[in-house]
Amino acid sequence: MSEPKQLLIIDDDPDFVAGLKSILLKAKYAVDVAYNPKDGLQALRNKAYDLLLLDVMMGRGAEGIMIARKLGKDPKLRSLPVLIITGIREQMAFLFPGQAVHPHFVEVDELVEKPVAPKLLLEKVAGLLKTAETRKAAAK
Amino acid sequence: MQPKHKILVIDDEEVVLDSCTQVLDGGDCRVTTASNGAEGLRRLEEVQPDLIFLDLKMPGLSGLEVLERIRAKQPLMVVIVITGYATVSSAVEAMKKGAFDFLPKPFTPEELRLIAKRGLEYSRLVQQTVALRREKETLRENFAAIVSHELKSPLGALQQNLYALVGELEDKLSEEQQQRFVRLQTRLDDLLKLIHSWLRVFSMDINGLKENFKPTSVAEIVAKAVETVQPQATRKALEIETAVGEGLPPVNGDEGSLTEVLVNLLGNAVKYSFPNSKIRVRAEARNSEIVVSVADTGVGIAQEDLPHLFQDFARGQAQPEGVSGCGLGLAISRRIAEVHGGTITVESKPGKGSTFMLHLPVAQGATQSGTTPQHKV
Repeated sequence: MSEPKQLLIIDDDPDFVAGLKSILLKAKYAVDVAYNPKDGLQALRNKAYDLLLLDVMMGRGAEGIMIARKLGKDPKLRSLPVLIITGIREQMAFLFPGQAVHPHFVEVDELVEKPVAPKLLLEKVAGLLKTAETRKAAAK
Repeated sequence: MQPKHKILVIDDEEVVLDSCTQVLDGGDCRVTTASNGAEGLRRLEEVQPDLIFLDLKMPGLSGLEVLERIRAKQPLMVVIVITGYATVSSAVEAMKKGAFDFLPKPFTPEELRLIAKRGLEYSRLVQQTVALRREKETLRENFAAIVSHELKSPLGALQQNLYALVGELEDKLSEEQQQRFVRLQTRLDDLLKLIHSWLRVFSMDINGLKENFKPTSVAEIVAKAVETVQPQATRKALEIETAVGEGLPPVNGDEGSLTEVLVNLLGNAVKYSFPNSKIRVRAEARNSEIVVSVADTGVGIAQEDLPHLFQDFARGQAQPEGVSGCGLGLAISRRIAEVHGGTITVESKPGKGSTFMLHLPVAQGATQSGTTPQHKV
């Protein structure tokens, strides 16, 4: 069997993370968690992850967006697929008036709303991992 | 100490400027003077007064002209015009142009003080209203973010854990326990949907829809709405019969929100229909409006419920078993209809059914004889 894919969750709500993590573990992913943006960025620099699950609204505002922007500018992390998890869609539109509801920050990202039904979550994760792999293979 | 009130007096007669200053300046008032219209307009920018006294009869720029320019620049500025005794008619003219009041010359210090006090009071009210309106606007804008975070986050976390627990306990839960989990999830989902509806009612800038208005085919929105509701209808063995008049002129509107209105009306019809019955959807042109009607033969609405139907959180007396909803659908629909210059009306008889009609004005420039392509449904 191949090595389990390494996922990182950055989200400041431990209860939500518990629910999310359990579903991912059950699907045989390896999951690390960072409960704030600072630890999250640290974790991303220390270890190579296959996918990031990123909460948008953390702390005093849209700190998740700041992380996504930082990733987009980082040549090493830019290709890391990101599943953006948001409270509500309108909130995204609210943060980016006049823009598409799904702003792209990195090469491969998708957006889901909280709470995420297990089926949808696993589909999105698998889909993003596959897209990222295809891109990597094409780049070689 | 910073004076509380700033008053600008514009008059070409030095004696008037002096007497105004003498009477009003000091205490919590600061008086600035200008001896002609042009200077007055400059001072207006510098001082940002709360109240302006403006002489109507001046050489150079006339008082009325100055008044017009002030109102053009600062529509909320409170201006009191000073008029000669013989020219009350020009005072009336000034009032028509937005002056708050007029003060005939000659006036006593007491008269001046009184009218200044009233003017300042009015100015304070105007400024307060503006501040309140701005605050309300900010509140509305922030409401979405606040409510979503404060209410939706905990519910989202709960739901996520229910999802996870069902998975974790898959082989340990009895059938009955699994059913309870499903019911819990449904309840939470309803609650989340309710919050969503709330957010739409309170935070959506419904007038903003107007920016995206374009000629919209009624046949298309009817088709889309029917398609959305069809699965629910099928579950109750309801037939939806659609009759859209040929060559209907388009309406000027936002397709998405108009579809939402019809989905709401159709959803209600499905909800309150008896199984195995029929829902009729018709769209036709009547005079200069298009009427889309949704008729069911369901439980109907009691006479006493009709007036409250389109209010927030209104739900009728006759709720069939198992019908859920928050009573916001019609309130949202009414708002959307109104922003399109239309209305929603209803006819209903308890036990016989209800007919809801969405009236929309025909888009300007469109005629019924087919400047628009015909749409097949």
